[in-house]
Amino acid sequence: MTVGPRSGPGERRGIALRSLFLQAVWNYDTLQGVGFAWALLPGLRRLHPDPARRAARLLAHLELFNSNPYLSTIAMGVALRLEHEVARGVAGAEGRVKRLMGVLQGTLGALGDELFWAGWRPALGAAAATAALLGGGAWAVAAYWFFYNGLTQAVRLRGVTAGYTSGAGIARVLQDPFWRRAAAATRLGGATVGGAVLALGTTLGYSGGGWRGVGIFLGSVALLGLAARPLGSGGRRLSPALAFLALVILLSALTHASAGTSP
Amino acid sequence: MEWLLLGVLGAIVFVDAWPVGQTMLSRPIVVGPLAGTLLGAPAEGVFWGAVFEAVYLGILPVGAARYPDAGLAALVGTVIASRGDGSEAAAYLVAMAFAAGFLGDWTSGFLRRWNGHTAASVARRVAAGDLDAPGRGIAVGVARGAALGAAAAVGCSAIAVVGFELVEDTVWAGPASREALRLAALAAAVVSAGRFFLKHRSGRLAWLTGLVVAAGLASWAGGTGS
Repeated sequence: MTVGPRSGPGERRGIALRSLFLQAVWNYDTLQGVGFAWALLPGLRRLHPDPARRAARLLAHLELFNSNPYLSTIAMGVALRLEHEVARGVAGAEGRVKRLMGVLQGTLGALGDELFWAGWRPALGAAAATAALLGGGAWAVAAYWFFYNGLTQAVRLRGVTAGYTSGAGIARVLQDPFWRRAAAATRLGGATVGGAVLALGTTLGYSGGGWRGVGIFLGSVALLGLAARPLGSGGRRLSPALAFLALVILLSALTHASAGTSP
Repeated sequence: MEWLLLGVLGAIVFVDAWPVGQTMLSRPIVVGPLAGTLLGAPAEGVFWGAVFEAVYLGILPVGAARYPDAGLAALVGTVIASRGDGSEAAAYLVAMAFAAGFLGDWTSGFLRRWNGHTAASVARRVAAGDLDAPGRGIAVGVARGAALGAAAAVGCSAIAVVGFELVEDTVWAGPASREALRLAALAAAVVSAGRFFLKHRSGRLAWLTGLVVAAGLASWAGGTGS
């Protein structure tokens, strides 16, 4: 069977840009399936000139897919590479694509969630929110946005090429200690920021500082911390938003009381 | 014009939250200043954006997880704050913003269920040989999300503004000082960050390091300033 030329940088860039729409039709049945298949379409068009064959491969990729949006481009690159084997008619290639995608989406999902959702984003968010609350203004906001996207969108753009270059050998790439170290570094950064916020909150105090301020701040942390703990054996948590609302009402009452008693 | 721009911002915020890009334009820390600038109150936007960012720091947008729409909450909060001094109606503002956040969550669930029909239709059409069906499905999904986002932003903001006129200058508005709000938001940030980063021993050591260094710097700055 005649197979189209290897994927060029333009095609891979196009797939990476299409990956921005990965979740545009996110649903409870196939999750990111439609977005994943649509992103791969430029490659499928080149590899499968016969429309009926292309439709069959497109249909195969429309099935359930769920991964981290930023790292999903790695899976797209791998799928693109393996589609070459499918186009050449290698026996069992279609099953191999399906199996590898099944494994890869979970691995990339877990890795991306740890790196970005539970690492990079809360670390930057805590730093930016603290800086903005302490007078950092629009600079803190701009820095947050640029740093966040500087990493995540770069990963997204490079992911297709990384996956395409590695093909089925992507497992070796993902076992590289770099990923573990990156996740640990993000955690450490976030923890340092968390400690700094605690120190700044207690130092700044309330109503001119002093021990009263320290007490009120630590009391607020304790109150919100308790609200965040699971309740009973069901493990249900009180909404942090409702706990925060209660705290605001409490502080409002304190402010009211202070204003009422002041001369 | 102001409401039209709010609708456009609402559409962008909703779509960025999960359907397209996830560039964090939908995070409160970005939405607040954007909405504040649109409404002529950028400083209020930065402040309330930071407050809601701290409160909603713990949201994990993983898989099929349900979570409040933090962007819509920040948008509605900033709209109320821009009507007056936000600290004068803090309890009302926070309550309305959280209500909007819950409504945004419901809207997301609704859109995801609706998307299920689109996905099934796309698969049927592709099976029938229509290779452009996924592209059309994507366009429909984005347009639907943008329309729902715009409607939610304008609708919630309008309700919040009308309510604000009713409760303003009453006890229900719940006055609080900026200082108190800042402290509550910093406490929320500490709790959220702790949830993420205090699981490991190395994280606890880093936490302690950050605490000591920041306390030292703050004391030094305080000593220099006095």
